Amino acid sequence: MDVLTNLLNGFASALTPQYLLLAALGVTLGTAIGVLPGIGPALTVALLLPLTYNFDPTGALIMFAGIYYGGMYGGSTTSILLNTPGESASVATTFEGFAMAKSGRGGAALATAAIGSFVAGTISTLLLTFVAPVVARLALLFQPADYFSLTVLAFMSVTALVGKSFLRGMISLFIGLFIGLIGIDVLTGQPRLTFGMAELLDGIDVVVVAVGLFAVGEALYVASQMRHTKEEILPVKSRVGMTRDEWRRSWPAWLRGTLLGFPFGALPAGGAEIPTFLSYTTEKRLSKNKEEWGHGAIEGVAGPEAANNAAFSGVLVPLLTLGLPTSATAAILLVAFQIYNLQPGPLLFQKSPDLVWALIASLYIGNVMLLILNLPLIRIWIRILAIPRAVLYAGILVFGTLGVYSISNSFVDVMIMYAIGVLGFFMRRYGFPVGPTILGVILLPMAEAQFRRALSISQGDPSVFFTRPLSLGLLLAAATAVLLPYIPALMARLRRKPVESGRVIFGDGQDD
Amino acid sequence: MTSGDDSKPATSARALFSLRAVALTVISLGGIILTQVSRIGTGAGFIVVGPRIFPTVVGVGILILGFLFLLRTTALLDNALVEEVTAEEAATDWRTAILSLLSLVAYASLLHPLGYTISTALFFPVAGRILGSTRLKRDIVIGLALGLVIYLTFTRVLGVRLPAGLLAGIL
Repeated sequence: MDVLTNLLNGFASALTPQYLLLAALGVTLGTAIGVLPGIGPALTVALLLPLTYNFDPTGALIMFAGIYYGGMYGGSTTSILLNTPGESASVATTFEGFAMAKSGRGGAALATAAIGSFVAGTISTLLLTFVAPVVARLALLFQPADYFSLTVLAFMSVTALVGKSFLRGMISLFIGLFIGLIGIDVLTGQPRLTFGMAELLDGIDVVVVAVGLFAVGEALYVASQMRHTKEEILPVKSRVGMTRDEWRRSWPAWLRGTLLGFPFGALPAGGAEIPTFLSYTTEKRLSKNKEEWGHGAIEGVAGPEAANNAAFSGVLVPLLTLGLPTSATAAILLVAFQIYNLQPGPLLFQKSPDLVWALIASLYIGNVMLLILNLPLIRIWIRILAIPRAVLYAGILVFGTLGVYSISNSFVDVMIMYAIGVLGFFMRRYGFPVGPTILGVILLPMAEAQFRRALSISQGDPSVFFTRPLSLGLLLAAATAVLLPYIPALMARLRRKPVESGRVIFGDGQDD
Repeated sequence: MTSGDDSKPATSARALFSLRAVALTVISLGGIILTQVSRIGTGAGFIVVGPRIFPTVVGVGILILGFLFLLRTTALLDNALVEEVTAEEAATDWRTAILSLLSLVAYASLLHPLGYTISTALFFPVAGRILGSTRLKRDIVIGLALGLVIYLTFTRVLGVRLPAGLLAGIL
């Protein structure tokens, strides 16, 4: 299999006027919605899912990749100018980005974010191009037991590494597993946990869960806190661009951010949160101008933004080759695949090479488009920030309702979605992360099916999960993920040093 | 519940109360799942892993996690969480949240009888008002435009069905 030939074919298909138009539409919509305060890529993709129900799969996925990328570029603008990260992966950007904007250097912050995202996006897409086919070939060796252990690893790493509390993360995950169980059991045809409601026999559509948790839950939460939050948008007076010195300080941070972002995105460890925070800490440690930190050090924007974008291409590796989403947003992208009856996994590269390579090629193209959209045209997007909150959230509710109603014109679906929205509201209120819930809903069918398959092959012998080396390795990795946050505290205790905090936190877990 | 003159211990007691209520809700969800498991038929024929295994595991898991969380709100109190929730309680405006939810339910119930365009044109200014907008005229215009544009784009361009309702003959 020749990667370059495949990639060229992908470009040939992605450069057709129709797909170029869809990519352009995707990045523009993604930026426009991602720039709205409080809306991250996950919510952006969830809200725009219904737009593509009648597209061909390749076109729709090209558009979604564009929406996702655009949502990330747009999110950095909000973080810098408004101090409102749309998702946890942009939190690290706000520290120095907002400080830069306050001291009148917003233009430079926006420029290093956009150019850094472009550099990181391009390098990491290049890495994706060469790494993904290799992983896909390795993935063919995976047997049911290994797949089950892989889902366990994804569950554990996302709940353990992301979020303030492992316990609350686990509760969120199990609520997701519960929602995923509702409906007819595929293997035996028995209805499960439907509480006698005929509408629940088909299960709860993942779009219903995603829109409920992300859009309605967030809108209700903001509504309940609205009168207590006041925000000001910082004007960008300076030119959007960088001085020679700022370029010199930015590019090493971009490269380091990329090198952190891609592998962490590719590991099942919750996507972009961890690498953005790691990049922030690394840059701070390496910086020669330590006194600038907190008052607008450009490396603190360049590094995390690069890591954020690089992590996206990283996340696509397990998503495309194993069908394994490693973040809430990736979970929603998986839904986009499933709408078209496409199952990402090792066979995707063999069965639909045209689609995969056109998608990868469109990532290169989307990056170029976004650089153009975000440097010369940035002032148009800044205007969107001025939309009043009331209008914004009323609009989100309209689009959220539309997204679910348009699936099957069902009143009951919409009511279930609102109920899940209320659940999302209380989860936000009491500090439960919503990411693990969506991951639980989406991965439960895969976990159960592979578990059953593995045990029928082994004729009911559960030791199969521990005797296959690959499966055992994945389970050990899952155990490590759970224990990892406690290790620094443990080390400190062993050295008889005072313990600062019991558990290391990698992000706040609000991945929306 | 938004009165700001509550003394601090009172609000933190309320936060503690709601957190315990959350723990009890989680525990009862586990209980409900486990009672439902017995209603799942096992199906005909022999399968190694029947349809009850996963629901049982999930039900037991939620039950255990719920008890652990109850522990974190009583004996092993999670002070950081209580502080966080206390701050949330103080800032919460229940009226806005509940009215938003009611307006949503009304919106969904009117979608079919009135049609997409009209119900959206009605919902948008109402929701905007609840969320604190004071410019009614502007909101009415936006709502009407949204309803019309979405209806026409979805039904004519994207081929997605939406109810025409009262405007069935006109649009």
